Amino acid sequence: MSLDQARRIVEEALSGIEYRVDEGKGFIEFIVAKENLVEAASRLKKAGFDHVKSLTVVDYKAEDKFKIVYHASSYLNEDLAKVIVGIGTEVPRSNPKVPTLVYVWRSVEFQEREVFEFFGIEFEDHPDLRLLLLAPQVAEKKPLRKDFIVKEEPIIRTKPPTG
Amino acid sequence: MEGNGGNGGRVYVGNLDKSAKRAKQLVMGKLRMGKAVDWATAFSLWPVHLTTSCCGCEFAATWSPRFDAEQHGALPWVGARQTNMILIEGTVTKKMACAVRVTWEQMPSPKFAIAMGACAIDGGIFYNSYNIVRPWEIIPVDVYIPGCPPRPEAVARAIIELQRKIRKQRVASKWIEEGWRPDREYVKPKEDPCSWWRG
Repeated sequence: MSLDQARRIVEEALSGIEYRVDEGKGFIEFIVAKENLVEAASRLKKAGFDHVKSLTVVDYKAEDKFKIVYHASSYLNEDLAKVIVGIGTEVPRSNPKVPTLVYVWRSVEFQEREVFEFFGIEFEDHPDLRLLLLAPQVAEKKPLRKDFIVKEEPIIRTKPPTG
Repeated sequence: MEGNGGNGGRVYVGNLDKSAKRAKQLVMGKLRMGKAVDWATAFSLWPVHLTTSCCGCEFAATWSPRFDAEQHGALPWVGARQTNMILIEGTVTKKMACAVRVTWEQMPSPKFAIAMGACAIDGGIFYNSYNIVRPWEIIPVDVYIPGCPPRPEAVARAIIELQRKIRKQRVASKWIEEGWRPDREYVKPKEDPCSWWRG
């Protein structure tokens, strides 16, 4: 199945919901409003997209928004298994709260936890929103946001390591 | 004093610290066992199983039949309390630093450390990252192995280098005599690596 055919399937599934399409070479993303995200995701699941391969966040600092994209695909439907489509939403940087999709796709649970610690995005109604990998003092800096800047270390050390 | 069994067993009562000190003086002084201690320590460097990062694959290959690092008397062991060497494999994240330090403190002295890979020297590809610590900030490192990752031969070479260091500088016997190794300072982490865990 080509991406165009998958696009037609998704557009059919999302009928009645307002969406925007972000498209590039080899990928396609359907951006819906925050309120419609759960509804859109459950319709995609009904259409055959039974799991999420990855969850990613883009920090548009200049436009003051986060774009959250779930990459859905299929295990059981052999045609749909050949494509990956993105379903996502955009939230303002000042109030990054998104409804969770754990109850639609169980496989996003840990990925949402990872996004939570790296970007500080809160997933409402998530069953277990704790830190996954980082120590708390690192996580509170929200290290993958664009405004987190790592202090540059000098290449040449003044004091060599002992030993 | 009459003991059990009727053969007149004896029970000695005394100050244990004093007795241990006297035994140490006897063994290291009059009996001149220092050289034997160095020799024995050099050929029983048991690294603890603490795989901090990806260099652990090379660590496994080093002890595989092809490279066979066990011929140097080194045997990877699971329990920290039965080992005397720690082999830091690659980068150490902030959370892992706690595990490294706790393991190091559990090991009985004399104990030694080898830092493996470019990350363990100065960060490697994770240089300037927000989530790493340098191993030499956590524990005193004896031998560094450069490479990303180092070949198993390099790891074996580091073990031999450490053996040479122990026997030439007589590190182990002096450690037992003086309570801490004479050739270097005690490394204490500047900030508590386990603070995230203690809360």
